[in-house]
Amino acid sequence: MRRRASAIAALLALGAALAIVAGAYATPEWAAAPAAQSGSDAASVKCGKTRTIGFMAPITGPAASIGVQQNSWAKYYVSTYNRTHKTKVRLQTEDTQLGAPTGTAEALKGAQALGGSSNVLGLVGPAGSNEIVGVTKTLQDAGLAWVSGSSTRTSLTTDGTRTGYMFRTVPPDAIQGPTAANYIAKVLKYKRVYIIDDQETYSTGLADAVERVLKAAGVSVTRDGVSQQQSDFSSLIAKVPRDTQLVYLPWQLTPKAIAFGNQMKAAGKGSVKLMGADGTFDDSFAAVGSHVYDTNFPLNPKSKIISGYRKSHGGKGDFFGSPTYAAVQVVATALDKACANGTATRAEVRAKIRATNIPAAKSLIGVTIRFNRNGDLSTAKKFGLYKSNGNIFVPIPG
Amino acid sequence: MNWSLFFDLTVSGLTLGSLYALIALGYSMVYGILKLLNFAHGDVYMIGAFVGWYTLHALGGPLNPTISGAAVLFVMFIVSMLGCGVLGVAIERFAYRPLRNAPRIAPLISALGVSIFLQNSALLIFGASFRDYDTFDLIGVKTFNVGQLFFSVTQLLTVVLAILLMIALTIFVARSRLGKAMRSTSYDREAASMMGIDVDRVIAVTFFIGSALAGAAGVMFGLVFGQIYHFMGFIAGLKGFTAAVLGGIGSIPGAMVGGLIVGLAESYATGYLPQGSTFQNLYVFALLIAVILIRPSGLFGKAAIQKV
Repeated sequence: MRRRASAIAALLALGAALAIVAGAYATPEWAAAPAAQSGSDAASVKCGKTRTIGFMAPITGPAASIGVQQNSWAKYYVSTYNRTHKTKVRLQTEDTQLGAPTGTAEALKGAQALGGSSNVLGLVGPAGSNEIVGVTKTLQDAGLAWVSGSSTRTSLTTDGTRTGYMFRTVPPDAIQGPTAANYIAKVLKYKRVYIIDDQETYSTGLADAVERVLKAAGVSVTRDGVSQQQSDFSSLIAKVPRDTQLVYLPWQLTPKAIAFGNQMKAAGKGSVKLMGADGTFDDSFAAVGSHVYDTNFPLNPKSKIISGYRKSHGGKGDFFGSPTYAAVQVVATALDKACANGTATRAEVRAKIRATNIPAAKSLIGVTIRFNRNGDLSTAKKFGLYKSNGNIFVPIPG
Repeated sequence: MNWSLFFDLTVSGLTLGSLYALIALGYSMVYGILKLLNFAHGDVYMIGAFVGWYTLHALGGPLNPTISGAAVLFVMFIVSMLGCGVLGVAIERFAYRPLRNAPRIAPLISALGVSIFLQNSALLIFGASFRDYDTFDLIGVKTFNVGQLFFSVTQLLTVVLAILLMIALTIFVARSRLGKAMRSTSYDREAASMMGIDVDRVIAVTFFIGSALAGAAGVMFGLVFGQIYHFMGFIAGLKGFTAAVLGGIGSIPGAMVGGLIVGLAESYATGYLPQGSTFQNLYVFALLIAVILIRPSGLFGKAAIQKV
């Protein structure tokens, strides 16, 4: 009996392990089951006084900490808009559970729900590049345009499969990676760098980009990876040679990077420099110590929008979510224009998003928001570089 | 041989293994008594970590504790263990006891349901944000060197406390009256009942102790690794379950040894195997499968004879 029970237990453990691996590595294209919303592309909808924007973000699940930031910034835009406009906007939110074993499937369910909801004319999100691959067909079948505030995989906009549908308010990895790598190799002049990705597509893509540039510059690079679910980095830290000059952490979750930084200190390796990426751009990571660097979306540090947000959110910046504010702004502005005659179609909203032109003065990201043919920002040419002063990140001039 | 790396990995593995062992004990004790795989156990551990965090902040937080750092730690452990113990008893009372005579799949599904319920309740109550124990502020970054052996005070505390708890449990089960009743119930629940043992009480105590140990493990995790979040119980629970199966589910010494083996295997895999940190879970579960294939009842489990 016990023998059988043990065998069952082993099978359950194996099944669970496979589920984890599948969740972490599954290519989500399979999930893009057709959800034909035929006719919805050209269906005219009465705009009314309250317009609905679809919103997809990881509200729950392992990546909820970044989803919460996106949700807060999205809601902040909505509240600002509703205070200053006669017409109102509302968000119809779908939780994508990014990072959970069922994450991409949840995103697909959300996309189907929003695609099938006739009052949704445009969409903000999803957060992850993998999710976007998974929901592309569903959203395209529904005729919906989407504006992501965090998916940075370069090929999403360059492979030509989403042209006219996908837009993003963040520059891609192809810009962020070289910005970080060139600073490490040419300004800091480091020769020994350890790169640790968090096994998510966002992270591996960015790590690849940085590794490529560093190696081309003659830097000795060691590459490693760690699960995004993990909080114990002690074994991994043991592997980082003491003469390493910088550990590059292109991670999505700031708290994990903080834990890594603190565990480095506990292991007596606190003098090794750390560099994060946009996913970890938060004052709490800067507080790990003055040896911390980061790169982030271009933001206007003097923006009244940021100070207003901080004021209404207990001083928190939640910077990872800030491009989502810009994404909601893009969709809301497009809805205003498409709804000028009282009705709009999804095709019209797509065209208006494509023609977005929000001046720098009204833009959170410090530059005019305008898209190129691929759907990328045509105005943001580089990421910002930052260094901790011990408590907050301050921009590195130049 | 890079001995410094080896020692670092060993200390890390023992620390992690101690946590897994404490979690595995809960799985094993419940399985021993009820033949139930309590998949909510990992989430009880998560709740324990949060109870510890709230206790820490109720006592002034890590920067300005109202009592000494050591006293804060003591209270955190006590409150967390008691809280999780009560939670474990409540789970047994409301989710498992009504299904005690149902087919075995029913309580298993109920356990999965409780797990998801606890996870989502934690998200609702505690929020999605990570919570920081700020151990450095509470007890400082104290580290010790013995030759090339390098360990922090929190790692030492975790390993020593886990060993003490395991010894206490072993003595309790082996020598106390209630421990004897637990062993009897585990051996034959019906016969134990006929001999006058209050089986319901024994099961409740088993859940209390198992959950209290998980609560202690949750606090230890927060102290050593710094941060806690609502989803942390999933993987830890799975590893604890693996440790219990590896050691021989139902066996208390097996759970302890299984936990340490899983912790060390994970640590050495990270340090020595190709892409170890990326695929450490693969290596750990491969080890489990290998052990089960060679010894299906686990390292300390005994093959049971089934009457037909």
